[in-house]
Amino acid sequence: MRGQYARRSQALAGILLFCALAIVVQMTRIQNSPEADIFRQEAQNYASEWKTFYPNRGEIYDRNGRLLAGQRTVYEIGVDLNTMTDAHAIAFAVSETLDMDYGDMITLLEFPPEGVSYMVLADFVDTKEAQYLQELKQALNAQTPEGVPGGLTGLQFKSHPQRSYPETSLAANILGFVNREGRGYFGVEEKYNDLLAGNPVQVLVSTDPNKANEIPHVPDGTTLILTINRDLQAATEEILDNALEEYGAVEGVIAVMDPQSGEMLAMATSRRMDLNQVWDYGNLYDNATDFDPIISKTYEPGSVIKILTMAAALDSKTVAPGTTYLDTGAIMIGGVTIQNWDRNPWGIQDMVGCLQHSLNVCMVHIASQMGAGTFYSYMDAFGLGHLTGVDMAGEAAGRLKIPGDADWYPVDLGTNAFGQGVAVTPIQMMAAASAIANDGRTVIPHVLYGMVREGRQYNVPAQFGNTPITVETANTLSDMLAISLENESSMALVPGYRISGKTGTAQIPVNGLYDSTETNASFIGWGPTDDPKFMIYVWLEKPTSSPWGSETAAPVFSEVARKTVILLDIPPDSIRQQLVAK
Amino acid sequence: MNIPNVDLRNINIPNVNRLIHAYRVAPWRVQRQWLGNVLLVVVAAAMVAALYLNVTSRTAIAGRDIQDLTEAIIASQQVSSDLQTQLAGLTSAASLEERALDMGYRPVESEEVEYLVVPGYVAPAPIDLSTTSLPQLSALTIPPEYNQSLLDWLDESVLSSRGPQ
Repeated sequence: MRGQYARRSQALAGILLFCALAIVVQMTRIQNSPEADIFRQEAQNYASEWKTFYPNRGEIYDRNGRLLAGQRTVYEIGVDLNTMTDAHAIAFAVSETLDMDYGDMITLLEFPPEGVSYMVLADFVDTKEAQYLQELKQALNAQTPEGVPGGLTGLQFKSHPQRSYPETSLAANILGFVNREGRGYFGVEEKYNDLLAGNPVQVLVSTDPNKANEIPHVPDGTTLILTINRDLQAATEEILDNALEEYGAVEGVIAVMDPQSGEMLAMATSRRMDLNQVWDYGNLYDNATDFDPIISKTYEPGSVIKILTMAAALDSKTVAPGTTYLDTGAIMIGGVTIQNWDRNPWGIQDMVGCLQHSLNVCMVHIASQMGAGTFYSYMDAFGLGHLTGVDMAGEAAGRLKIPGDADWYPVDLGTNAFGQGVAVTPIQMMAAASAIANDGRTVIPHVLYGMVREGRQYNVPAQFGNTPITVETANTLSDMLAISLENESSMALVPGYRISGKTGTAQIPVNGLYDSTETNASFIGWGPTDDPKFMIYVWLEKPTSSPWGSETAAPVFSEVARKTVILLDIPPDSIRQQLVAK
Repeated sequence: MNIPNVDLRNINIPNVNRLIHAYRVAPWRVQRQWLGNVLLVVVAAAMVAALYLNVTSRTAIAGRDIQDLTEAIIASQQVSSDLQTQLAGLTSAASLEERALDMGYRPVESEEVEYLVVPGYVAPAPIDLSTTSLPQLSALTIPPEYNQSLLDWLDESVLSSRGPQ
């Protein structure tokens, strides 16, 4: 009996052993089969996936910490086709809420592309609309019996940040904008796009839940602090808008800069788009130079350039402030007769009178005495015809013809001396004039005050360009310009503050000829004269109330200067001198 | 008294030797030894498996927690940015001007302004956005217990017990 049991046990053990061996053999065979590599490769493909972590775009602040560009939350609304139960309900709810076409949506939902399990119905949806749809989905779910999916089951919401500009159109020309793909256009957004956007980090993430993935630290994009003063920018834009209306100008710009550091405090342009509505760009601007004419639109500046001509003449010792000449109202140069703006002779004038009355004949006279070589070397040193290096996208270099150029003629020496036949941008004119306000040294205009990265702030130091004139020349000319404004009781004067400046009225070339009715009216000035804290440039294009810069741009300068001294806390000269005396 | 010198090995005890031999070769005893060894291996394997299961399950839970927290941080940052932008919108130049006008204020004219020197007053400097907060945790700061397998841990323990080579 015992032997029979033993045989049965051995037979059972043998069968089990055979089965176990068969399993092992089969496992080994599968492991080493030709298909095994394919399966291993496929498993490897699913074992991990590359995931890209995008940093938040850096914010932009004004110099006082006012947010100019930040992020707001928007939603991507999509549908999971695997869990969707009622395509009609989803199409109806989404199309009604987001003002989309129901027919298109139901077609998309009922006939989705092959192999697609998730479809985006709308992106960049406002928080309010997304919340409304979320609440609707919850309400429908609550109405259905337990375990039965609601009408909007499958509808999914994914939040993500989108660039937002809380000041809407304020400083639009400075900031630029970001499109939906996250790329910056114009202004600071384009110039510092790489810094603001940060560096995306790619990480291989395991799909095995047992493996804790290493979380990459993705630093946010660099936050920028601009030199712009928001309140001054708002005031300047308002003054510009009023000026366009009051003087009937087509367009205009006003720029305010610290002439000792090159920090731009305000840059107002007449065309400003709401940066939250980037799709308006095409409707508002005809070409790229219209976005920020301060840095990218060139024009013939007219008489404001006389300050550079006079600076060159004084510095080269061609003239002194008391040098006199007889103004006969006309002068011949390069075979062409140049006249004064009023076509009248002004008799014996010294250099202050020359600037005060803005005499073209005087400028041609001293440019001729300097000679083309000296004159153009100074203009070159002032930066005319060169980029200023302002840290904004789209700067234009302007054009200064020089002897040797195919299109330069001897008469150009005369016309260039009073600002015709030369193309500059407003920012270029300010950078050049900064030499006079800043002890002979030009500044490089900039809008970036500092950068914040990983909690640390790095401030941008002032940068300087050429030193085309001496300190003595700069101070002498500043004084001459202040006297000339005071002598003519200029509308640019600011009570309590001594101001240096110069008007400009330039005829506009149309089809190669100067139009006698349309002008570019401008004014460049700075103050207080003995310790300049601001430099203001005003350019009004084609004013209709008066063609003269002295009657249009000059009073606008004064208005901006009055606002500037209040907002920048600049004490009147008398108080400042008392404080210095103490 | 003299004791005779007797060699014990020469004493013949046939029954005892047989019994000892029978005990040693008894099948039930050999089976019990085998069973004991197998059970020992099984218990040891079970202990290792239980330990491994415990560690891996804790690792998996920690991993999920980290993922959840990361998502929560991202969501919080988004909300914070959104609120900051909303606040900036409410305090924008245009909004403040509108509210001020509604409250009966008007823009000041420069002629109405009198500059007063206040002893000790220092004009505000441009903003400093530096923060003193600690930098964010990075992957390197996660303790190894959260991303190390049991074998990795054993390997490291063995290596560290050997000391520097």
